[in-house]
Amino acid sequence: MKILVCIKQVPDMESKFKVNAKGVWYEETDLAFRMNEYDEYAVEQAVQLKEQLGGGPEVTVLSIGPDRVLEPVKKALAMGCDRAVHLKDDDSSGKDPWQIASAIAGFSRDKNFDLIFTGMQSQDRGSAQVGAIVSELLGCACVTTVVHFAFNDGIVTAKRELEGGLKCIVRFRLPAVVTCQLGLNKPRYPTLPNIMKAKKKEIVSQAAAGFAATEALSGTGEFYVPAKKGRGIILEGDVNEMADRLIGILKEKTTVVR
Amino acid sequence: MEATREIYWNVGHGVVLPMYGFFFLAALVFLYGFYRRLPAYRRGKALNRLDRLRERIPLLLKNLFLQVRVLRVFGPGSLHAFFFWGFGLLFIGTLLIMAQVDFTQPLFGLVFLKGAFYELFSLVLDVSGLVAIVMLGGLLVRRFFVRPKGLETIRDDYLSHTLLFAILVTGFVVEGLRMAATEISANPGLARFSPIGLLVGRLFAGMSDAGLFLAHRVLWWVHFFLAMGFIAAIPYTKLRHIFLTSTNYLFSDLAPKGTISTINIEDDSSGSFGAAAVSELTWKDIFDADACTTCKRCQERCPAFATGKPLSPMKVVKQIGEVAFTKPQAGLIETVGQDALWACTTCRACQEICPANIEHVTKILEMRRNLSLMEGAFPGDEVRIASENIEVNGNPFGLAFAARGDWAEGLAVNVMERNSEADILYFPGCYASFDKRNREIARSFVQICNAAGVKAGILGKEEKCCGEPVRKLGNEYLYQTTAAANIEAIKRYGVRKIVTTCPHCFNTLRGDYRDLGLTIDVEHAATFIKGLIDQGRLRLKPGSFEFTYHDSCYLGRYRDIIDEPRAVLKAAGGRLREMEKSKYESFCCGGGGGRVLAEEKLGTRINEERTRMAQATGAPLLVSNCPFCLTMFEDGIKTGGSEGKLKALDLTEIIAARIGGRD
Amino acid sequence: MKALLVCEYREGKLLEGSYELISFADRLGVEKAIVLVGSENAVPKADARVYLANAAAWAEYNPEIHRKIVLEAVQRESPDYIVFLHSSYGWDLAPRVAAALKAAQISEVASLQDGKFEVSCCNGKMRRTVTSATERTVVTIQAGAFSFSGEPRGVPRVEMIAPPVAASAVEFIGYEAAEKKDVDLAKAAVIVSAGRGVGKKENVAAIDALAKALQGELGASRPVVDAGWVPHSHQVGTTGQTVSPKLYVACGISGAIQHLAGMKKSEFIVAINKDKDAPIGEVADVLVVADVNQFVPALTAKLRK
Repeated sequence: MKILVCIKQVPDMESKFKVNAKGVWYEETDLAFRMNEYDEYAVEQAVQLKEQLGGGPEVTVLSIGPDRVLEPVKKALAMGCDRAVHLKDDDSSGKDPWQIASAIAGFSRDKNFDLIFTGMQSQDRGSAQVGAIVSELLGCACVTTVVHFAFNDGIVTAKRELEGGLKCIVRFRLPAVVTCQLGLNKPRYPTLPNIMKAKKKEIVSQAAAGFAATEALSGTGEFYVPAKKGRGIILEGDVNEMADRLIGILKEKTTVVR
Repeated sequence: MEATREIYWNVGHGVVLPMYGFFFLAALVFLYGFYRRLPAYRRGKALNRLDRLRERIPLLLKNLFLQVRVLRVFGPGSLHAFFFWGFGLLFIGTLLIMAQVDFTQPLFGLVFLKGAFYELFSLVLDVSGLVAIVMLGGLLVRRFFVRPKGLETIRDDYLSHTLLFAILVTGFVVEGLRMAATEISANPGLARFSPIGLLVGRLFAGMSDAGLFLAHRVLWWVHFFLAMGFIAAIPYTKLRHIFLTSTNYLFSDLAPKGTISTINIEDDSSGSFGAAAVSELTWKDIFDADACTTCKRCQERCPAFATGKPLSPMKVVKQIGEVAFTKPQAGLIETVGQDALWACTTCRACQEICPANIEHVTKILEMRRNLSLMEGAFPGDEVRIASENIEVNGNPFGLAFAARGDWAEGLAVNVMERNSEADILYFPGCYASFDKRNREIARSFVQICNAAGVKAGILGKEEKCCGEPVRKLGNEYLYQTTAAANIEAIKRYGVRKIVTTCPHCFNTLRGDYRDLGLTIDVEHAATFIKGLIDQGRLRLKPGSFEFTYHDSCYLGRYRDIIDEPRAVLKAAGGRLREMEKSKYESFCCGGGGGRVLAEEKLGTRINEERTRMAQATGAPLLVSNCPFCLTMFEDGIKTGGSEGKLKALDLTEIIAARIGGRD
Repeated sequence: MKALLVCEYREGKLLEGSYELISFADRLGVEKAIVLVGSENAVPKADARVYLANAAAWAEYNPEIHRKIVLEAVQRESPDYIVFLHSSYGWDLAPRVAAALKAAQISEVASLQDGKFEVSCCNGKMRRTVTSATERTVVTIQAGAFSFSGEPRGVPRVEMIAPPVAASAVEFIGYEAAEKKDVDLAKAAVIVSAGRGVGKKENVAAIDALAKALQGELGASRPVVDAGWVPHSHQVGTTGQTVSPKLYVACGISGAIQHLAGMKKSEFIVAINKDKDAPIGEVADVLVVADVNQFVPALTAKLRK
């Protein structure tokens, strides 16, 4: 069995975001980067499956981007992936989901991966498209937002998370793309011997351009800090007046009070 | 007639041969007993504790003969020390007799137990015997009648009390019988020098000579066999501490307090890090277990134990011994239990008080290292998140690293990246950088520097967590990663001196970072401020206030900085009301050993316990010198019901509020 | 311009959110057509053509079949926009349709800014307008962002789509109901948390009432949990749960750093506190300077009206 895990490096969401010179994405200076949270579940699931099958499957971790993405790649290797592929692209943040998915599909096409795990979305872009597009391009099954995964005799039984705590149980055969959601598993913390072993694992670097679609289907018009929603509004005075004003603000600024 | 007595009186010189025969037999049993213990020690890893003998031997002599560590707990310590001295003198007396009668006299005709010396000899031994009996009685009452909580009594205790008591009593009876027959009426002038023997001898006043002779001969042998039994029993019972505890003084850790071995993380040749089996501890750790007398001093002072957590440092030490001696293949961590291991605050109260010189904290740390580095384990998910936050943003809160220096905005501090001109590098650490309450510490310290004309620089966003909490939780890899980044940044600016307001940063930068190549002078704000006051650079406008002072573990016990902060607070006009547990006996706030990152799920809260102690002094202010302590106390005051009665402040805040004296 | 709205159907019912699609199309000012894999008695009330395929034939979740049906409707209707809810159904199906059409997809549109699609990114910290370079555009809209007001009305013109013949790699087994768990704060849209400022255990009920009025969950800060006023499962903060609801209301919480770290990713934060300088004010969108025990009941009463 061959497994591919696609991971993305994203800024820590606690960071202070500033708009870059082009005005279409964030400025990278002063940002702390880490592995996309949803992709951590993907890595963990791949490694758990490998362990379940007695170490048989080979797990390849793939990431697209500039050299800094090697950091989470190394973490994935320390968590138990066997080898890594770095599709180098210094302008990966300028690519739309279609281009990213086409790069992954282009790389995977002749590799016969049985399973491709990835996060249900990235924390920075949040498009939730790449996994499903990859499956379309490869012509294989795809199950998104998975919170439970069980592999048995070549058949996967998975649970998708729906709204309001409801889950949907599905069964599918390989090959397939699976996108992972919070709650699927608890990613392991790499042990020191595994961190050391990971340093010796193979990382193949290739230009993403060789695989990706050249034309983007969508683009960013503008990227900006949301208009001051009222951050910092201070209400003082009469309790009833404040309650009215607060309800007004909530109606205007949030989707939960109607 | 010159004062002396006939040695082997009544028993005759014929006993020499059987006596030495039995003695050698006892000695063989004794040696075999210790020999049998060697393989267990050898199960541990090598460690050189016989270097620097010039320092070690005085340590041994001081602690053995002066009983310094034993006497740190006055009551039972005194009983033990006086018993030791009494029994020790009796032993020396016996050796002197042996030396004369079996060596100097037959070989050189030299008799020295005579005249005034013999009189002194008799008196000293009699008094020693009395002291030993009285002290033993005291210990007996303590152990069997008014037993303090936590003092466990086992077979060995009954045996040693019985043996020692019987040896001492039979000794006096033998002496009394001899004196009744030979001295009391024949040489009353000499008998005066054996007052106890005299008293005992008078009891036999009516006995016939034949009765005295027979009783003496029988009891002489009884006394002898008891003594031989005692020698033979030493290695097989707790009595072995006589030798092992003493030797443990020789094996002292001579490194500065709190030194932790720096793991070579690149070397995975052993395939394992930390300790999950006794073979991964050192021989000293196993020896420690053997030297432990279960005096429970450590347990009594352990903040985790005191608040109902499943940790007793004494138990951990004994469990290591049990595994080493009886089931060396057993898992250490399973034996001790993860909850116990994670409960330790590394406050060092156990180690500080231990009369047997046992190193508790490193054992716990080695097991934590195994849990962390080999299993990726944490005391709880919250700690894992905090650790990952340190990895990504260099602070446990997960706040943006770029905002680390924001607290200093508008203050006269140089950010080294922009201007590295500075007298000192101030290293505020995570809490004083990010936590709103603790930022007051950083701001206060800068104000103090400004007032004293000291130019302070900070690393700002180039600073990361010093790594102390995660290191104490066993995560050596993360510690070394973050430490390396700090060291690189510090070296980049040619810093000459670093000052911290956090004792954890202080110890780490000053001690732990040495192994990683940082050798710059590091000082804690308490002593630094004291220096500024002493040099007349910082003038204060003293205001009268009452306070109680909490010695943080890492400033007090770890670095012996006890008087300086008190002096500084007094210079500010404070009147100190000491807590019952202070200075070397200070009770941890609960935040050490990485526990500041963890939730306290078991037992009651350590911080509430400590704020209660502070409130009991009646002082309205609880002053500490550590952001972790301040955080724990702010919490403890709220949840422990001391709100409105007690206020927690840092030393720097007190001083900053009193800047500006013009005499 | 025309939008094809892909409505949602589950367990025999049309999902309420489907009307948000209508609301979105109206705000965009385009003609609308609807496609639904469902049943005849669950057709949305709207003056529009509704392409209906019977879900019973292939079960409710079958992305491959549903994709074929939507593509069939696209072919018949030739829309400029194909609009889904950004839901477990929408984000699963939309990219498949987009990829099949080689059309741009704009995910989770939160608002329209002068006709441009605005989406939220970086955990709500930033916004982005997204442009499409293709003839057709697939759009998913943020749940709740285009709420539908008033009574749905209109007469749909139903047109059936015959079941496509296709083998499916994914087999739908069934649903699993939500676990009877006490509370799952991580997924709550609204959290109203009680802090020490509520004063005593009895006052927690008022905070809980506000949570209910906002259809949210009750949260709590650590001291309140430690004091035993609220069970631990409700604890927000680094030692409890890290949460990111749409609305977080902190009642009497001063904002210890451990608490802030656990909730500051929330989209909108309201703090009610007596102390204007409490650290919670640094992250709050609105800080109400008041005694929680007076303000919260007043607010709850007004919300219930």
